Amino acid sequence: MKKQAAKLLIVLLVVSALSIPALAQKKVLDFLWFSDGVEGDVLKEIIADYQKIRPDIEINVIETPFQDLRIRLQTMIAGGTPPDLSRLVNVGDFAPALLDLTPYLGLEYIDDFVPSTHRNVIIDGKLMAVPVDVTANGVIYNKDHFAQAGIEVPTNPEDVWSWDEFVENLEIVVEKSSARYGLAYDYTFHRWLTILYQAGGKLFTDDWTAMAINTPEGERAIEFFVELHDKEIIPRSIWLGGENPNTLFRAGLTAAHWSGNWMLTNYRDNATHFNWGVMYMPYGKVRSSVLGGKYVASFKDSNHPEEAVEFIKYFTSTEVNAKFNEESLFISPRLDNAQLHYDFGADMFEVFSRELAVSPPHAGSDWAHPFAGRIGDDLRDIIVEALQHKLTPKEAVEKMEQVGNRILDDYMK
Amino acid sequence: MSDRKRLLTPYLFVLPNVLIFLIFVVFPAIYGLVLSFTKWDVISDPVFVGLKNYISIFSSESFWDTTRKTFIYVFAVVPWTFVTSLALALLLDMKIRLRSVMRALFYIPSMLSAVVIGVSWRWILGDNFGVINYLLERAGFKSVGWLTTPSWAMFVVILVRVWARAGYYMVIFLAGLQSISSVYYEAARIDGASVWQQFWQITLPLLKPTSLVVVVLTGIEAFKVFDLIVVMTTGGPGKATTFLVQDIYRWAFERGDLGYASAMSVVLLLILGLLTAVQFGIAERGGNAYE
Repeated sequence: MKKQAAKLLIVLLVVSALSIPALAQKKVLDFLWFSDGVEGDVLKEIIADYQKIRPDIEINVIETPFQDLRIRLQTMIAGGTPPDLSRLVNVGDFAPALLDLTPYLGLEYIDDFVPSTHRNVIIDGKLMAVPVDVTANGVIYNKDHFAQAGIEVPTNPEDVWSWDEFVENLEIVVEKSSARYGLAYDYTFHRWLTILYQAGGKLFTDDWTAMAINTPEGERAIEFFVELHDKEIIPRSIWLGGENPNTLFRAGLTAAHWSGNWMLTNYRDNATHFNWGVMYMPYGKVRSSVLGGKYVASFKDSNHPEEAVEFIKYFTSTEVNAKFNEESLFISPRLDNAQLHYDFGADMFEVFSRELAVSPPHAGSDWAHPFAGRIGDDLRDIIVEALQHKLTPKEAVEKMEQVGNRILDDYMK
Repeated sequence: MSDRKRLLTPYLFVLPNVLIFLIFVVFPAIYGLVLSFTKWDVISDPVFVGLKNYISIFSSESFWDTTRKTFIYVFAVVPWTFVTSLALALLLDMKIRLRSVMRALFYIPSMLSAVVIGVSWRWILGDNFGVINYLLERAGFKSVGWLTTPSWAMFVVILVRVWARAGYYMVIFLAGLQSISSVYYEAARIDGASVWQQFWQITLPLLKPTSLVVVVLTGIEAFKVFDLIVVMTTGGPGKATTFLVQDIYRWAFERGDLGYASAMSVVLLLILGLLTAVQFGIAERGGNAYE
């Protein structure tokens, strides 16, 4: 018995000793990631494929909820242990800590990507990240509620509803169907910007040095949003009570959800007890969606910068990027991936693409501002004050201009 | 054991605790104080700005508004918790049936994490999915915006806090009550004192040391409230239930200004220190009831 135990121990020691060189040769890259839907699973498949090509590399995905991304990344950077790779929504926010990709990929690398993404990733003339997917805000609607009320949504992009028609039709749907409310609306400043742009307004001046929201258009945007709440088209529990708009829509309590294309896999998998689709958004003064995006970047203090860049190149290559976006139901930022083949919702992507095509340029460039993320929460709080009627729409846009300019001055010093 | 060893031994026993206290409390506090004189977003290097953060804080309307709301919260939570926990202790100090079971039931909420409490009450009080509003509507009443109306939101965060902590302080009061000699009550009964008179003239004065502990601890806890608020109301509606600690968190991690947040932390520390000193001062001036 003792001899057998000794033999087993020797075998274990030998195996461990043999594996040490193998482990020692493998480079482990940490990849900080958040998911809106199933893209985390798609990423893991892509990583598995990459690790077959590069058996010397192991990529460790650190998943984090989106709302914790900033805090987690800040903490990792402050602790001197940034990840090797990270998915980002606002590149400028972390620019001082990011690895300059220009020496590795060349500035011309971004020429293969849609021009509206360039300002997001080129900072002070340097390529700091690469786009992975593009997002578009839009309205997802409950087909059953609309059918019950006898309302048909616009299908011709040349003949979409005005704001007034949109409100009127939602009121009819609420009256004649089992929906309790007309519209669930995401509690983010980024989503509210859709209304600002549809009103004909903008957030920043073209040179990004000051706020441009204090205009009659900005005031109208606030006014419309307040009206949607006062008429209880949008339940007050979202913007005033923190209720999850996804939950309300999935439970069938709202006839529609003002969100974006990233929700498609979530509703494909979870909203299975009613029919739903994507409708063309209404127009105020103009039609507009909001162009957003997700990017991948590496960090100055990464232990494996070359390996990280190699993976970025792989991940953003034509084929791999197509796989990622097709299976995650996202829109590719690559020019050569303009026509992807989706197993689900191809007609919905048609709507999102057409909405982006008619959006004004600042619907993409505003959110590329390095400090857009930092002022968003403050400006959203001001909108909430308007919803509570503590501020008139005019006072709200004046305060947004004041607060925004103060923060911009502070950070740009 | 030699004299030297005898002298050193107690210090060696407390050394681990002192080290932990220094590493995790004192040094970070000093570092926070240093940071309060800088502008730092974590990503770039800190920039020395002198007293600018403190000047900005004291000239900020938002800071004073948040401080006012914090004081309202504290001055509601402390007396409510005190009265509720003392009442529970008095009731459960009596020899009644199922006394032990009831003590355990009242104590259970204090064992739950603030996140569990916040999530549970959020579901109970929610506008559209909440049990309370469902029952109200079934009874023919209109639903109430418990978490979406500023005044109701403030009320429920106070109520939930008292509900969550009363059991814990009930136990402290129970210990205090049981340390009061029965001789005083016997003598009072012989002298014809009523139950109320016994409470005001014997129980309350002799509970003074315990009461001071309860008031100081509930006050400090109430000033530091964070997790319960974040989970229940996220500081809303608007900023109706945003208190000092949550504001510090927002400045540090959402706005990315650790210098300003550190300065606010220093101000909060001074407020807490001042209030604690006042409380101890009042307690000492009151003296021992039976000296």
